[in-house]
Amino acid sequence: MKNNFPIFQNNPDLVYLDSAATSLKPAPVILSEMEYYIKYSANIHRGLYQMSQIASDQYDQSRQIIADFINSQSNEIIFTSGTTASINLVAQTWGQQNIKSGDEIIITQMEHHSNLVPWQQLAKTKKAKLKYLPVTSDFLLDQKSLLKLITSKTKIVALAHVSNVLGTINPIKKIVQTIKKINPKTLVLVDGAQSVAHFPVDVVDLGVDFYAFSGHKLYGPTGIGVLYINQKIYSSMSPTSFGGGAIKEVFWHKTILGNPPFCYEPGTPPIAQAIALSQAIKFIQKIGWPKIIQQEQDLTNYLFQKLKTISDLKILGPTKSDQRLGVISFAFTKPKSPTPHDIGDILSQKFNIAVRTGFHCAMPLHQLFGFTTGTTRVSLGIYNTQKDIDKLIDALNHVIKIFS
Amino acid sequence: MHLITLLKFFLNMDDLYKEIILDRYKNPHNLGTISGGIKVEEVNALCGDKIKIWLEVKNGIITDAKFEGSGCAISVAATDILMDMIKGKKVADVQQMSGAEIESQIGIELSSVRKRCAYIGLEAIKKIKDSLNNL
Ligand SMILES: Cc1ncc(COP(=O)(O)O)c(C=O)c1O
Repeated sequence: MKNNFPIFQNNPDLVYLDSAATSLKPAPVILSEMEYYIKYSANIHRGLYQMSQIASDQYDQSRQIIADFINSQSNEIIFTSGTTASINLVAQTWGQQNIKSGDEIIITQMEHHSNLVPWQQLAKTKKAKLKYLPVTSDFLLDQKSLLKLITSKTKIVALAHVSNVLGTINPIKKIVQTIKKINPKTLVLVDGAQSVAHFPVDVVDLGVDFYAFSGHKLYGPTGIGVLYINQKIYSSMSPTSFGGGAIKEVFWHKTILGNPPFCYEPGTPPIAQAIALSQAIKFIQKIGWPKIIQQEQDLTNYLFQKLKTISDLKILGPTKSDQRLGVISFAFTKPKSPTPHDIGDILSQKFNIAVRTGFHCAMPLHQLFGFTTGTTRVSLGIYNTQKDIDKLIDALNHVIKIFS
Repeated sequence: MHLITLLKFFLNMDDLYKEIILDRYKNPHNLGTISGGIKVEEVNALCGDKIKIWLEVKNGIITDAKFEGSGCAISVAATDILMDMIKGKKVADVQQMSGAEIESQIGIELSSVRKRCAYIGLEAIKKIKDSLNNL
């Protein structure tokens, strides 16, 4: 598998364990982006010349491939620059236009700052109430509390499909059913940044209204992301950002907007990135979900077992393998132990191992569990092997030795 | 220098986690608070370092310096070393200190990310420039 990722040709000894931050890119994705620039580097939906038509076709096709990937329609797929931009787009359009003073917004205690701050700020400007669904001591969402939290005033619930700190997979379908049973008008936004690369997502089956994800965590390019909007929602929202490509007709004092999704994509989009993202999806489909899921689950179990052999190391996140993905955060509990920052530095300098350290954009969550200097996070991708894990464990034991 | 220490020193010359860092991290010399002292704080969001410093200042000269906080080995050790460095110094001089002086005191070159850890104490002290000048 490593052969498919050219970065390993330039860094043969690299042990990359930070796929939750961004995944490495396979050759077809890199080549696809390059191909656009060297073969048909034209703007889309503008020129009648052949190059522009090829670019437009590729771009449109990519939207269709992405739509199929999550079982939606192509007009429900809005290209953005990433998960963060997708969530902000919802908060700034639908949120601004539908949330009133006294309304309620519910998010969870395990959200990434990208799915926390936009709602916190919206609640503040609208004088709406921001409520948090708690995380239990076994690192799962407290579904019982959900029953009490949802009221007739709850306008939206925004939550992650998979936590980027705990690795917890949230039972979205069940949660959506619970929410809609109590208040059918409550919309649900799911932050899919950490899910789409690891198991199939079906937005219709899940019953969600908005679904956001990033290309770069899906073995695709940076600078491109997706916002799925259930087309039924379009009538209750309108764009707040305007420009070329997003309109039908413009007069001196009035404009007729284009149809969604185009009206939400003013200006020249990231064309090469959008096209290359469909190659990332094809790459995943070629390997096949059963293989990806099995391989990652086996490796996660292996990593878990190995980490447990290290004393005084506390793992954040559920232990059952069907409740979690290969995102494991941990810290040493004894005083004077190596902190995550020390661990990350030594792992990188001495062993060429890339892990993430700190709060992983989830500061309140770390404080909730008492990890005031953050955690070290190991996250897996399809290129990781048991050998990578063995090297990590050896390196961690070395760190302990330095500090002992 | 002890022979073993000397040997270790040469073997780990390029190693960030030299004895001095680990010693100071585990057993800082200047841990604590000063009641009635000037208190400043600084955080490094990247790695979660959080340092509080207390200074006792008489006639513009720092007569005592202590700190508390949680952070990585580099930030704790460097802040502890900084406390030693600034005692007896004129406040005005400390204000002019550069991070490089701390680095040379530790005797290692730091990467740009780790510089932020090592300089955290100095950053905190620079924040109280004005109130110090009024003493
Ligand atoms: C759960 C989650 N949400 C949102 C984001 C933000 O993604 P991006 O930085 O690509 O917008 C991330 C990635 O860091 C994430 O893990």
